Amino acid sequence: MESSSILDSLGVEIIGVMAPVSICMFLVVLLTYSLSVTSDPQIRTAANLIYIENPSDSATVKLEGSLENAIVFVVLVAAVTFVLVLLFYYNFTNFLKHYMRFSAFFVLGTMGGAIFLSIIQHFSIPVDSITCFVLLFNFTVLGTLSVFSEGMPIVVRQCYMVVMGIVVAAWFTKLPEWTTWFILVALALYDLVAVLAPGGPLKLLVELASTRDQELPAMVYEARPTVSRSGGGGSSLRVLVGGGGGGVSDSGSVELQAVGDGAATHNLDYNAVAVMDVDSVDGVGRSREGHSASPVSSEHSRELGSVGNRESVAEEEMSPLVELMGWGDNREEPRGLAEESDNIDRGIKLGLGDFIFYSVLVGRAAMYDLMTVYACYLAIISGLGCTLILLSVYNKALPALPISIMLGVVFYFLTRLLMEPFVVGMTTNLMMF
Amino acid sequence: MTVAAGIGYALLALGPSLSLFVSVISRKPFLILTLLSSTLVWLVSLIILSGLWRPFLPLKANVWWPYALLVLSSVCFQEALRFLFWKLYMRLEDVLDSFADRISRPRLFLTDKLQIALAGGLGHGVAHAVFFCLSLLTPAFGPATFYVDRCSKVPFFLVSAIIALAFVTIHTFSMVIAFEGYAKGNKVDQVIVPVIHLSAGMLTLVNFASEGCVIGVPLLYLVASLTLLHCGKMVWQRLIESQNQSGSTLR
Repeated sequence: MESSSILDSLGVEIIGVMAPVSICMFLVVLLTYSLSVTSDPQIRTAANLIYIENPSDSATVKLEGSLENAIVFVVLVAAVTFVLVLLFYYNFTNFLKHYMRFSAFFVLGTMGGAIFLSIIQHFSIPVDSITCFVLLFNFTVLGTLSVFSEGMPIVVRQCYMVVMGIVVAAWFTKLPEWTTWFILVALALYDLVAVLAPGGPLKLLVELASTRDQELPAMVYEARPTVSRSGGGGSSLRVLVGGGGGGVSDSGSVELQAVGDGAATHNLDYNAVAVMDVDSVDGVGRSREGHSASPVSSEHSRELGSVGNRESVAEEEMSPLVELMGWGDNREEPRGLAEESDNIDRGIKLGLGDFIFYSVLVGRAAMYDLMTVYACYLAIISGLGCTLILLSVYNKALPALPISIMLGVVFYFLTRLLMEPFVVGMTTNLMMF
Repeated sequence: MTVAAGIGYALLALGPSLSLFVSVISRKPFLILTLLSSTLVWLVSLIILSGLWRPFLPLKANVWWPYALLVLSSVCFQEALRFLFWKLYMRLEDVLDSFADRISRPRLFLTDKLQIALAGGLGHGVAHAVFFCLSLLTPAFGPATFYVDRCSKVPFFLVSAIIALAFVTIHTFSMVIAFEGYAKGNKVDQVIVPVIHLSAGMLTLVNFASEGCVIGVPLLYLVASLTLLHCGKMVWQRLIESQNQSGSTLR
């Protein structure tokens, strides 16, 4: 142990967040590649209520139409979020939880079913309808159970979070091009406002949850399968794990939150929740998505245990790179916290909405070229990295969408407009550097 | 190009980097982050370069000197960027070392530094292979393949995969050489890296001549293997040196 270098453990939690996001994006790209030919192009969702894009429309019509679509979508999302805040305010927590389970069931069952169906058709997989139905039903039920129950292994929960992200994102990639871009940008802006502005719905939710010291059911991905470390810290940690999935839903918002509550032994957790309300009618292309709320929340919680310092060395060794970077700027704060409690534990949580909208962006890029996919992937991942670093500096809930989405969109268009002709011109002459 | 051929070309270009990634980089999260950020740096450099050259594109297909100019400017720009990347890394190393001191763990070992340099180089190499080779593969799946006039014996995708492999090697290991050169203030190593990069870029200009790839590609591989050799020799020396200096602290 003495001889092992600090390099071995540094950055584990960042990779813990980035790896599932990467897997999700990769699978969505694969899906869009292999299915884009067969799936029907137009779907009707909350995201294109007003205007149905037609490739032959003029640019102005598309611009106005997609702008309207985006505004309507964001307004819907905001409205749903406020409803959730209200429900949470009046303590309808159980209703929210069951509602989340219900939407998870429908997302997996109908949207997931539709995707499996098109995979089966596309690759001509020989499977009869009864087997298929039984498999799908089992898959869905396991998914529903895993989302909020405490008994499930964390791996199963993590897998299902990724699967739900993939399913919803694959669905969203069927939106027409202009609408997709406008919605992504609009959601990023909305996320920024909702989390940071005073009176923003997500901010309200966070404050509400932390003043009440209550958990909300949320669809969040927990980066770290928290293992209990040392004595006292362990048990409350487990509470965190069990309850952390609570959420409130909000559509499309994602947040990263770091909560440092020095005094409490209890962790703070904040959840953003998203609701996926999908009333899809039948598994097929006609299904309407009500408002899709993608839930998202990310939670960064820090648990302060009151316990023993014997493990403090090991713990600090594990302390996140994020924190390390943060120390450059405010050395004092983490120090202070560390003094209050010897035992610091943290796990980064990322909302499902992050998964979804990152993957939507990459999936949309995949319809153009691999070059744009790779550029967007790098942009999003680095945006996520920046957000994590900011998280360690500010130590409060942060929206995870804005930086990544903005970088992703910018890189997409730069790659498409500038780099593509350059690179293709070079390589077709076999010239490289 | 069929799917099998496409996967084959991709593995040809990126296979060695893949095994390097699995065996060395993926063990340590920090190295993965280094790899990602260096890939991003390379991507940004490519975007800036293409932005600069965009007004002049497309270049005429029958004159070679604009291409020479393009390669020259790109190599100069990227080498300047490599220096900046190193400056950034130096600051990071300070942070890491002070962090290690604070938690009373040993500072970065020589092997750690070499691995970070390797990850940085691999990031550059992978970015090169992805943008110059892989990105052209995906739109081209189908029953036919594509030959360019100037290299009519071999499918275009195969040539570009082979060239990409050479460049991945050069980028990966020249970064190790450069970092060591900067760290020790070794002028030869500092100069040799841009020279390698430039000569490799210029050698691809040979492909401009009709059937030039028959000569150009082997020459490119000569440069790549020289880079590899030099890097190996240098790392070996450094390891021996530091072992002599500090006895058993080296793993």
